[in-house]
Amino acid sequence: MYLTEVKSWDIVKKQYRYKLKSYFGVFTSLVFIQLLAIFFSFNGTGMSGGASNSISYEVNYYSGDIILVFMMIWAFITAIIITTKAYRYDDFSFITNRSISHFSNILFLLSVSIFAGISVYLSTHLFQVLVFYLKDNFSIIKDTLSVTTWLTGISASTLYIFLFASAGYFIGVLIQLHRGFAFIIPTFLFGGLIMDGLGGNPTLFMNVSKFFGAETSFFLFAVKVLVVSIVLLLSSIGISNRMEVRK
Amino acid sequence: MLINADSMKPIYVQISEWLENEILNETIQADEKVYSQYQLAEMFNVNPATAGKGINLLADDNVLYKKRGLGMFVAADAREIILRKRKNSKLNTLVNELAREAVQLQVEVDELVTMIKDTHQKIKEEQA
Amino acid sequence: MNVVVCNNLTKQYGRSKVIHSMSFQLAENKITGLIGRNGAGKTTLLKIIAGYLHHSSGDVQVFSENPFNNLKVSANTIFIDNEMSFSQGLTLKELLETAGSFYQNWDHDLALRLFDYFSLDPKQFHGNLSKGMQSTFNSIIGLAARCPLTIMDEPTSGMDSGTRKDFYRALLKEYIAHPRTIILSSHLLDEVEDLLEDVLLIKSGEKCLHLSIDSLRDYAIGVRGKTEKVQEWIDRIETIHLQDIGANLSYAVVKNDRSIKELEDARQLGLEITSVSAEDICSYLTSKTKGGIDHVFNRG
Repeated sequence: MYLTEVKSWDIVKKQYRYKLKSYFGVFTSLVFIQLLAIFFSFNGTGMSGGASNSISYEVNYYSGDIILVFMMIWAFITAIIITTKAYRYDDFSFITNRSISHFSNILFLLSVSIFAGISVYLSTHLFQVLVFYLKDNFSIIKDTLSVTTWLTGISASTLYIFLFASAGYFIGVLIQLHRGFAFIIPTFLFGGLIMDGLGGNPTLFMNVSKFFGAETSFFLFAVKVLVVSIVLLLSSIGISNRMEVRK
Repeated sequence: MLINADSMKPIYVQISEWLENEILNETIQADEKVYSQYQLAEMFNVNPATAGKGINLLADDNVLYKKRGLGMFVAADAREIILRKRKNSKLNTLVNELAREAVQLQVEVDELVTMIKDTHQKIKEEQA
Repeated sequence: MNVVVCNNLTKQYGRSKVIHSMSFQLAENKITGLIGRNGAGKTTLLKIIAGYLHHSSGDVQVFSENPFNNLKVSANTIFIDNEMSFSQGLTLKELLETAGSFYQNWDHDLALRLFDYFSLDPKQFHGNLSKGMQSTFNSIIGLAARCPLTIMDEPTSGMDSGTRKDFYRALLKEYIAHPRTIILSSHLLDEVEDLLEDVLLIKSGEKCLHLSIDSLRDYAIGVRGKTEKVQEWIDRIETIHLQDIGANLSYAVVKNDRSIKELEDARQLGLEITSVSAEDICSYLTSKTKGGIDHVFNRG
């Protein structure tokens, strides 16, 4: 029987398609979590009010930020899940090698992030409409956005979500390398944050979020996020080379 | 016989004997093509290499001859060869066992020959 | 051409060697049976050949390349075992279609016919199948993929006897129609021996025998008779197996390379000489002690 020659890119595409089809549950959980996030958002993110003589007023701020935060956590967890044995071994029942497996995973996470980024934008709108109908609204002031701003908004959301997915993927691979990381990583993370906060002047979390969040140029922000994500993903690939393909 | 007669014959021997029977009862005629090793493998549910060995056994005895690219064919004198071979191997085995038994029962050679002669005569008369 | 070549192949976990300095070649388009007892290292060896596990030392080549994490090997090899995992999100029918999209020689018509014959439900999920049904499904993928190297590790585990027979027949017919290199592992040689051309017998991680099935059937002879006569005859002969069968009778198995004179001696001693089935030879050769299980019960 003659040997078949295959091109890596073809197999990446096939694995990617296989993943899109078989990880359909991921999208269901996305929709569910967004609904949950919308529900939480009804509490509003801020409130102020006042009264003078016969007038009293109350200002409520509502934003879709919670939806984005939920999506980031969701992407983080999804990425961890797809590094687990059950998912990894699925790839190896068909043609693949490790790089292809990683590459198709990354493509999958990227698509999921884009999908989530767009849906964050859409459900923020849904949320605004719901607020309009459900809350007693004497007047609603809504930020109006130009096409470029909402494109930037969607891209930024996508990038944030992808960043968290990459971090999740990295941590997932570490845990696959050694179970111990499942305890070590949270310990260091929360331990670090607590130690940082004990001094009364927390800086660690601030600095990390400032590094991304305070960036005013979208271009530089994108570069920062992508560079960090790529470093995380390449490290994941590097680490997994120390492991057996399938036990 | 070094190996006990009751032990199972190897499959390739069974296959070659089956082919011999097919030739003896003229299911496959002289100069006709015999089953390929793949057909035999399917028929007997064995690896084609094993079936091939059965065919080779017959080719070695000149029961079959090879036509290049066409397969194996039955030799013109296949029946004679098979009969001669069976006479040699089967009768030899039986005679061997018979003689052994005779020695054990202390039957002398003359007595044995008479017994054979009588039986042979009887069977011939029955068949006639 | 050799499809699989191993030279001093060793695999160790920590200090324990699971595969110990194994050397052998598997020729193209042969069905080889990998036979050994539980824990002999069959699965580890197969996973190294399939490219799933690193080997520790020595050399292994599949299609003249190191199989580990190798795309060319992966594209031309299929490894079927009962740990095969498939996405829980896809139905059996979708899994067959996915398999078809990966393997170039895939015969979808055959896959569907077998699927139908073994009455699998296309809408079912792999995880919900019984063990035997999972094995059946995996085997269908293994047959329909028509990979130049098809590795099947205990493919029939959990199948009922009718399904086993059907599967082996399907394997044979597929092999005849589309010859390929097949490695079939089993601890039941009886069940597969007619299908095999060669046998690779391993014992505790080491190669024990690698020969054609016909040579294996002629590999040894058994001698049965009065214990003291058997003892006398095997005095200077190395035995593979020696067993007390009661009533002052013994059964010994020795390599089938004795001279005519020695065999004549045996007959003189009143010993009965028998052939030994391939299955028995394998079980004697891989047994820890020459007395077999009886040894455990002999406390005297």
